[in-house]
Amino acid sequence: MRNRLPGLVSRDGERKVRVMRGLELTLRQTALALVGLLFLFALPDIARLSPTIQLSVLHQGVVFGLAAVGLNLLVRHTQLVSFGHAAFFGTGAYTTALLAAKYNVTEFALLLIAGMLLATLMAMLIGYLSLRHTGLYFSLLTLAFGQLLYALVQGQAFFGSSDGLPVRPGPNMRPDIFGLALPPDAYEVLMYYLTVVLVVVSLLVMWRLINSPFGAALDAIGQDRTRAQFIGIPVRRYVWLAFVVSAVYGGMAGALYAMVQQHVRPGPVLYFLRSGDILFMAILGGYQTLLGPLVGGIVLVLLQDMGRDLTNYFDALTGLVLLALVFGFPQGIVGSLKKGGRVRNAASSFKDDPAVIGSWLSSFTESLVTAASRSVQNVKVLVFGVK
Amino acid sequence: MLKAVGGTALAAALAGCSSLIGAGTNQDTSGEVSDVPDEPIQAGLQTFTEGPAAVLGLQSQYGAELAVERINAAGGIAGREIQLDVKHEADAYVENYTQFVSEGKEVTFGPVSSGGHAALAPEVEAQGVVNVSTDGTVTTLYEETVPDPTYSFRFQNYDVMECVSAARETVNRLGAENVNTVAGINPNYAFGKDEWKVYTTALQKLTDVEIVYEGFPDLLADDMSTHITEINNQQPDVTFSSQWGGDVVTMMNQAAANNMFDNTQLVGTVLYSAVNDLSQDIVEQAQAFSGSRNYYWGEPEPSRWSPGQKMLDDARSKWDIIPSGHFMSGYGAVASWATATEKAVNLLGGWPSQEQIAMSLEGHGFFTPAGYHVMSERHQGLSTTYFGEMGWSGDVGAPVLNDINSYSPPDVSPPPGTKSIDWIESW
Repeated sequence: MRNRLPGLVSRDGERKVRVMRGLELTLRQTALALVGLLFLFALPDIARLSPTIQLSVLHQGVVFGLAAVGLNLLVRHTQLVSFGHAAFFGTGAYTTALLAAKYNVTEFALLLIAGMLLATLMAMLIGYLSLRHTGLYFSLLTLAFGQLLYALVQGQAFFGSSDGLPVRPGPNMRPDIFGLALPPDAYEVLMYYLTVVLVVVSLLVMWRLINSPFGAALDAIGQDRTRAQFIGIPVRRYVWLAFVVSAVYGGMAGALYAMVQQHVRPGPVLYFLRSGDILFMAILGGYQTLLGPLVGGIVLVLLQDMGRDLTNYFDALTGLVLLALVFGFPQGIVGSLKKGGRVRNAASSFKDDPAVIGSWLSSFTESLVTAASRSVQNVKVLVFGVK
Repeated sequence: MLKAVGGTALAAALAGCSSLIGAGTNQDTSGEVSDVPDEPIQAGLQTFTEGPAAVLGLQSQYGAELAVERINAAGGIAGREIQLDVKHEADAYVENYTQFVSEGKEVTFGPVSSGGHAALAPEVEAQGVVNVSTDGTVTTLYEETVPDPTYSFRFQNYDVMECVSAARETVNRLGAENVNTVAGINPNYAFGKDEWKVYTTALQKLTDVEIVYEGFPDLLADDMSTHITEINNQQPDVTFSSQWGGDVVTMMNQAAANNMFDNTQLVGTVLYSAVNDLSQDIVEQAQAFSGSRNYYWGEPEPSRWSPGQKMLDDARSKWDIIPSGHFMSGYGAVASWATATEKAVNLLGGWPSQEQIAMSLEGHGFFTPAGYHVMSERHQGLSTTYFGEMGWSGDVGAPVLNDINSYSPPDVSPPPGTKSIDWIESW
């Protein structure tokens, strides 16, 4: 009889941990996953160690990471790059804020579900209109719809225009969590743990999704639309579905953001630069991985926050990271740490023969010298022309 | 050397007086002061330290730093010096405040942004560490957002005061019978829209004016010519603008290039915030009427008012700037907290709690080089508002306000318990 419950199983002589149907991890992966989980759950205590690290900032990172995980479904599998994902993040956030500020809805679960629902509807509409196009036109359309929402919210007093809306419903001035009116500290920590639980569940759902026939079909669509069409995949419908699913993640993240920040303004949740941030998080963490976008979210938000303490040119800091990423680690943080990734490869060759450092250094100097001589050549050609 | 009679050395120093008559006898400290921590007071200020809004933000920072310097030179508060940590407010008002609190700051100042202040004030109430905002002057803050505050205060006059002042100034200078048409160029966000609404509501109560055009260019727009052309077509008696900083420079330069000042009289609440960036010919062409919030360095006449002269000299020598209303925002926020805290120390004979400091701030009166200020029971600072005609001074090498009119708080702000817009509509 097949074991249907989580537990230890043996596959091809290797012991694996069965998490759910189809998801079996090696012992090493299990250990890493547990460490990761433990780390997420311990963050509130870690944040208490130093005043420069704040739980609310880490929490924001996790929330944006969740949105990036959603966006990554599109980028990684269907190869569609959306520049307007803040629209769904913002829809989730603004739905929550409107219900809290104008209709005094206090329940966390209701606010969350409403945010996800509205984001879903918004994605069905925007997806329907923009998925008729691919490539650059798709990206530009999503950008346009995103900016349209931004302009609408910014211009309407009902949405609080540029001042935004508070998320402080009820006499307790914050949402109730399952009927409980909590003091601020308890609210912050409980909200964080709830977020972690939601993130873990969302990751499992995403894993299941991309390892299903549907996920495989998306990959096929990403590789070649026409071929996918010919083998009978309903391309339009599948891509539309993937778009909506990725927006649900954005909507959930937006609703959580609104309840964490307790104030929503158009700039931080709807502006097109926010869409860029979410995309950047996915790439920074490693968009060819499931966990990468989450890690990217935490790292980028933390970097932006700590950067402000270090220098007035904190925006340049993000640019530098982007440069380092593109030139040095195109697979992103998690991608580089994975088996076959740049860091893992380097570490293993270092373990085999520490003298490899010498050859790294020499190849680095060599490439510097080549680059320098090439630029000298270029200048020569520019000044004296080709002889 | 100017000496103050009565008060404490700290209050005298913040008022801009060099020393206290009879200082050293400690006659103001009635009770024994014990139980005061040894370490310096950690304070945090969030303001725009970079980007276009730094035109205002740096002025606030310099003002706050000058106040801190004077407090420390006067021996601190009950012997405790202040250490001020400045943070760029960016878009992270709440995070900045939370970080200040977790770093153990005993008081926080800022922000400059209205929207940021609306986000921050409820958090201040939740966390319970006193915040005296420098600006963030949105009218609805203590009327709707946080109607019953405990720990959140605001030093600078709020928007309704400068808009009603602007309306009264318009009528004073031009005469009600000469104000028949009005147009507006205001920044396209909540602040700009609020200012336009309050100004026109007040002006319509004072005159039979008709609105002929309203334009809302985006913040930092580099082209305002469509609005200027429209105003040249309409030729309204008055054009109102709540533009600030770099946008004032853009608007006035383009208006001058298109001869807009021949067709209308420009009135603005904070045009003078661009004092360090406007050129002589533009200022002289415009002859605009501008407000300067609750402080204008030339009023009263510095030669007759040495605290004002001293502040001007300090700002010019230390930072090479003409101090604007935003300079006073920073200075006054720190001064209000410091004098109220010292009062609480003297009353209690020990270091006060956050709640006691907050209680001491309510209804607290104090002097700065701008004059006398009250932190009202509704947590809103109330000070005289200044308006004048912008001209150029060769001596100063910068724009100045001539022929100043000042408006006292009861003239331009609603009585306690009344919402601003209801009050204006009841006129």
